[in-house]
Amino acid sequence: MDIISQLQEQVNSIASLTFNTFGTLQRDAPPVRLSPNYPEPPPNPTEDSANFADQPKLMSAALVKAAKQFDALVAALPPSEGGEEAQLRRIAELQAENDAAGQELQKQLEAAEKELKQVQELFSQAADNCLNLKKPD
Amino acid sequence: MATATYPPPPPFYRLYKDYLQNPKSAPEPPPPIEGTYVCFGGNYTTDDVLPSLEDQGVRQLYPKGPNIDFKKELRSLNRELQLHILELADVLVERPSQYARQVEEISLIFKNLHHLLNSLRPHQARATLIHILELQIQLRKEALEDIKRRREEARRLLKESLGTLDGQ
Repeated sequence: MDIISQLQEQVNSIASLTFNTFGTLQRDAPPVRLSPNYPEPPPNPTEDSANFADQPKLMSAALVKAAKQFDALVAALPPSEGGEEAQLRRIAELQAENDAAGQELQKQLEAAEKELKQVQELFSQAADNCLNLKKPD
Repeated sequence: MATATYPPPPPFYRLYKDYLQNPKSAPEPPPPIEGTYVCFGGNYTTDDVLPSLEDQGVRQLYPKGPNIDFKKELRSLNRELQLHILELADVLVERPSQYARQVEEISLIFKNLHHLLNSLRPHQARATLIHILELQIQLRKEALEDIKRRREEARRLLKESLGTLDGQ
C-alpha cells in the first residue's frame, strides 16, 4: 500500500484504539466510593479486578505504539521537493523529452524497416538466381 | 422532475427509426456536460477538487499558505491528538458531564488530519506521473540503442557475407 494510504489507515486505527480504550474502561470499571456519607460499594467478583488493573496499561501502551508508528510513517514520507509549479514544469520538460525520444525512435524504426525490406528483396533475388543457375542434372 | 418507481425508458428511440437507411436523419448524441449537473436528485460537479475545510464548516488547525511543510504539521497534529486524548481521560475522571467539548476537539483534530492527508494526494499523483514519464523515456532510449545495435550488426553481417561471396 502506498504511504499516504498507510498513514490514513494509521489515523483510523488510532481513532478506533481511542474509542475502544475509553469504551472498555468505562464499561468494566469497578464502582468507586464517591462520598464518605454513602457506604462502601459491594465487593466485586475477583476475576474482574485481576485482569482489570492491567487493561489501562495495555491499552495506553497500544495507543502510544500506534502514535509512534504514525510518526515513523510521517518520517518515511518522501521529501516534498518544490511546489505545484515546479512539478508541472518538470512534467512539461519530461513530456518534451519523451516526444523527442519517441520521434527519434520512430525514425530509426522506419530506417530499419526499410533496410529489412531491401535485404529481403536482395535475398529473394539471390535465391532466384541460385535456383536458375543450378540446372537440374 | 418526475419520479416513478419503474419509469419507462426515454422516448428518444422513436427518432432513430430510419438510422440504418440514413444516419443523418437522427439527432446527434448530446455533448459532454461541463460544470455541475444533477443526477438522481444529487448535485455533482465535473471539476473534481478537494473542498477546503472552511467549505465543510470545520476550523483549520494547521497554518494556511502556499507551501505547507506536511511532515511538521502532521507530527504536531499527532501530538495535539495525544494531548487531547489525555485531556478527555482527565475530564472523564473529574467532570464527566463535560465530555462533549473534548470529544468535539478530538474529532476536529481527526478531520484536520484526514484533510491534510487528502491534500497530499494531488502531489502524489503528479509525482507518480513524473516517475512514469521518466521510466518511459528510459525505455524508449533503450529501445533506440537496441535498434541501432541490431542495424549495425546486420550491416556487418552483410559486409562479411559480401566479402565471403567475393572471395569465392
